Amino acid sequence: MKKCYLGIDIGSISTKGVIIDYNNNILAKDYLETNGEPIQAVKKLIKSLKEQLPDDYVLKGIGTTGSARKLIGLMVDASIVKNEITAHAIGTLAIHPDVKTILEIGGQDSKIIILRNGIIVDYSMNTLCAAGTGAFLSSQAKRLSIPIEEFGNMALKSKTPVKIAARCTVFAESDLIHKAGLGYSKEDIIAGLCKSIVLNYLNNLGKGKKIEGPIVFQGGVSKNKGVVKYFKEVLKMPIIVDPNGHLMGAMGMAILAKQKETDKVYNLNFHDISFVTKGEECNRCSNHCEILRIYKDDELVDAWGSKCHRV
Amino acid sequence: MNKIIAFPQVGDYAYPITYLLKHIVRAETLYIPHISSETIELGSRYSPDFVCTPFKYTLGTFIECLELGANVLIQLGGGCRYGYYHELQKEILKNLNYHFTYINLVTEGKTDIKKIIKQFKKIDPKFSILKGLYYLFITKNMVKYMDEIDEYIRYNIGFEQEKNSFLNLKKEMLNSFSKTKGYFSLKRKYRYYKNKFKNIKLKNEPRFQVGIIGELYTVMEPSANYELELELASHGIAIKRYTNATYLLFEKKKKVKKYLKKAKDYIKYKMGADAADNIGRCIELCEEKFDGVIHIKSSFCTPEIGASLIIKKICQKYDMPLLEFSFDTNTSKVGMKTRCEAFVDMIEMRKENEKVLFRN
Amino acid sequence: MKIGIPRSLYFYYYGDLWLRFFDNLNIETKVTPPTNQEILDLGNKLAQDEMCLSMKIYLGHIAYLKDCDYILIPRIDNFGSNNQTCTNFLSTYDIASNIFPNKILNYNIDLEKKQSEYKGFLKLKKDLNKSKKEIKKAYLKAKEQVAITKKQKIKENIKKLNKDGLKILLVSHPYNSYDEMIGKPIIESLEKLNVQVIYSDLFDEEKARIESKKLSKELYFKYNKENIGSIMLSLKKIDGVIFLSSFPCGPDSLVNELVIRKLNLPTLNLIVDDLSSDSGIQTRIESFVDILEAKNE
Repeated sequence: MKKCYLGIDIGSISTKGVIIDYNNNILAKDYLETNGEPIQAVKKLIKSLKEQLPDDYVLKGIGTTGSARKLIGLMVDASIVKNEITAHAIGTLAIHPDVKTILEIGGQDSKIIILRNGIIVDYSMNTLCAAGTGAFLSSQAKRLSIPIEEFGNMALKSKTPVKIAARCTVFAESDLIHKAGLGYSKEDIIAGLCKSIVLNYLNNLGKGKKIEGPIVFQGGVSKNKGVVKYFKEVLKMPIIVDPNGHLMGAMGMAILAKQKETDKVYNLNFHDISFVTKGEECNRCSNHCEILRIYKDDELVDAWGSKCHRV
Repeated sequence: MNKIIAFPQVGDYAYPITYLLKHIVRAETLYIPHISSETIELGSRYSPDFVCTPFKYTLGTFIECLELGANVLIQLGGGCRYGYYHELQKEILKNLNYHFTYINLVTEGKTDIKKIIKQFKKIDPKFSILKGLYYLFITKNMVKYMDEIDEYIRYNIGFEQEKNSFLNLKKEMLNSFSKTKGYFSLKRKYRYYKNKFKNIKLKNEPRFQVGIIGELYTVMEPSANYELELELASHGIAIKRYTNATYLLFEKKKKVKKYLKKAKDYIKYKMGADAADNIGRCIELCEEKFDGVIHIKSSFCTPEIGASLIIKKICQKYDMPLLEFSFDTNTSKVGMKTRCEAFVDMIEMRKENEKVLFRN
Repeated sequence: MKIGIPRSLYFYYYGDLWLRFFDNLNIETKVTPPTNQEILDLGNKLAQDEMCLSMKIYLGHIAYLKDCDYILIPRIDNFGSNNQTCTNFLSTYDIASNIFPNKILNYNIDLEKKQSEYKGFLKLKKDLNKSKKEIKKAYLKAKEQVAITKKQKIKENIKKLNKDGLKILLVSHPYNSYDEMIGKPIIESLEKLNVQVIYSDLFDEEKARIESKKLSKELYFKYNKENIGSIMLSLKKIDGVIFLSSFPCGPDSLVNELVIRKLNLPTLNLIVDDLSSDSGIQTRIESFVDILEAKNE
């Protein structure tokens, strides 16, 4: 039997998974929407990965990352749980060993990671709010009644992007309505939005960071050709967008799981286990902590959220 | 009408403040509720949008206290616009139909003692200055002892063998301090607890040491930094923190000169509030070869925004890992944790790399 | 020697004084053009994301002066206790000296520590290579000239209070009111609507500070005191007040909110953030003027 490793990246918008062999070749991969139900999403994801995986492999490690990493880590009994910054860096390095800058714009987070000689030397994540992230773009697309998939192509058609104030979602929305009301074309408005996301990202996250090539751009928004175009234009450097870019977090986790390998053998039978969470407000003191209890097959496996460490 | 006093929640200082008030004025001191998500929600609802975060937190606490029956509010104030919170907070609370007396202690970084005594006399006509001075002396020492012991806790809490031994003992100590009769009884208690803390069994050495610098309220009030210190400790990190009440009340004047000197390659003037202090501290942390610097502030804190630019430059020069937080009322704790984890990974990777380079 | 002067922030308090002073000493100066997109972009690139718009613009102006031997950046701590300035006025010198390679011509005003403007100017003699006597003469002459123009401007401003038609007091810091991209478009559109615009910075400073006590007893920001004092001085003659501040101005965030709560006058609170677009500010101005007109009829 040959060895393989599973990495799962559970984000707020989408859930991604890959299985790799010992030489980091992808054996199975999938991507689906989280829809606010990470447990169901992961169950579905693993079912799909299982179907793709050839029979002669044995699973030797599982790693989880993303906003639900801890929860899903418990569910699948992961060998390693890591934050998405490290996971993305490790995953990207496996495919682009000489990468120096990773730009990432996801559903609700955006980040920049600076690497030198394969080591993270600096990073930063968005501070203010969701402005400029995938969720923001989707809501603006809806407002303009344009399918998000066509957003990028429409932006490319514009020659004179409109200026949009996109530092804050509230300002941006009112500005967008205002510009639409003035009669600007949709193409120019969308292009303006894409450009403002780039400028905003660089002003917020890129400040004081030494952005050098090779630059890899990832995350859901990297599929938007308009945003890619303006990154190229503003940074005056080539931008690499990997077709598997959205899988880099999962990829990184699979690699980290490989490094953590023990004698333990994992299986992929999660479809039938019962895994539930129960939230409640603790009223034992004025903190009113929101406690989340987690039950696996009716057994309490963990509880989170207590500030006073009672539970 | 009975006077019931309330003040904002900052760290554990409610203990010494309550102690002091109990002994110097004949008035009840409210048990101040902890800052909860409801406090923050209340505070944000009635605050102007772009005011800095401590305004929202302290306003929230005041509303909760007024609801619990408080009718005398004491605001701490400070050297930046914190010193001017009181006038607007008074107006907002009046518009919400509360009745109260409002006392502000520090304006423009200075305290007008005469005015404060006058205000206390209004609350309690028999207020005695002599008695006030005696208990002020005890309270000053209580704060000093607390801060000193806190420093030890902060550095070691990540390595306790038995979970919660530090926090439980701290609670016991604070309760015991509150029952202090006089200066000598306080000193005895301090020695007793200091010894007890030193005897708490630790399991291993720290992985790294990091220093926390930044805006005073966000540094001192755990709910304002989403319990950053405990999060870092859980990763096996020893923490050094500079700002506490002892520093602000008794040491700042002298030490800021030292920091300005240390930072003379970067700055010429005090840049407002604690900006120069933090720049000096950052250089100190770099020189003392700490593993990382964490600079925290509340959103839109003007002095620290300026400082941040220079702190970044210093950390780049010394090749020092830097993590910055700008906390707001709607910062997500999950996001804070993710950034901390990544910070720890980054420091670890850098260290591994150094070892490899060294071997080659 | 060429001295670069950024047309931003301090310029709107001291520009006149500086230009006359250097002129009296026969020293060449270069003033940046009114804020434009290029300056704004330069500023955005250099500034911290959370800095206020006015600071971003200021840094953009400094960047524009690359070719000057010196750039003039004062530091203003206070005009005595109870007359403090915004934190940015305390830190711009140090912030700029960490960003820009240029030499900086700097003087410090800190009246609490007895550092007056006059003393500050005298200290410039070394950098300017002039004698104490020359500096003193140039400074005093410039001061005299400035006082005359300032008086004239105040007179004209106050004259507007007695004119017919709608009168609106624009309460803002002069570096916002007179900035080409922040205040100017607002003033132009008000004037197009035949509104008399009265400026909050063109009143007798001392009178204004005394009057400000009626709204706020414990305010210690000098410029905000003068701003709200101007409201009290013109209260009976104006139809409404427009507050204009740059996002996220620290002192304004507290003081303007307090005044709006206490004031029994129609007010419009404009907070400008990103200048790449006017975000419907024009619409808000027009509707404010409409409301005031309807009230008058």
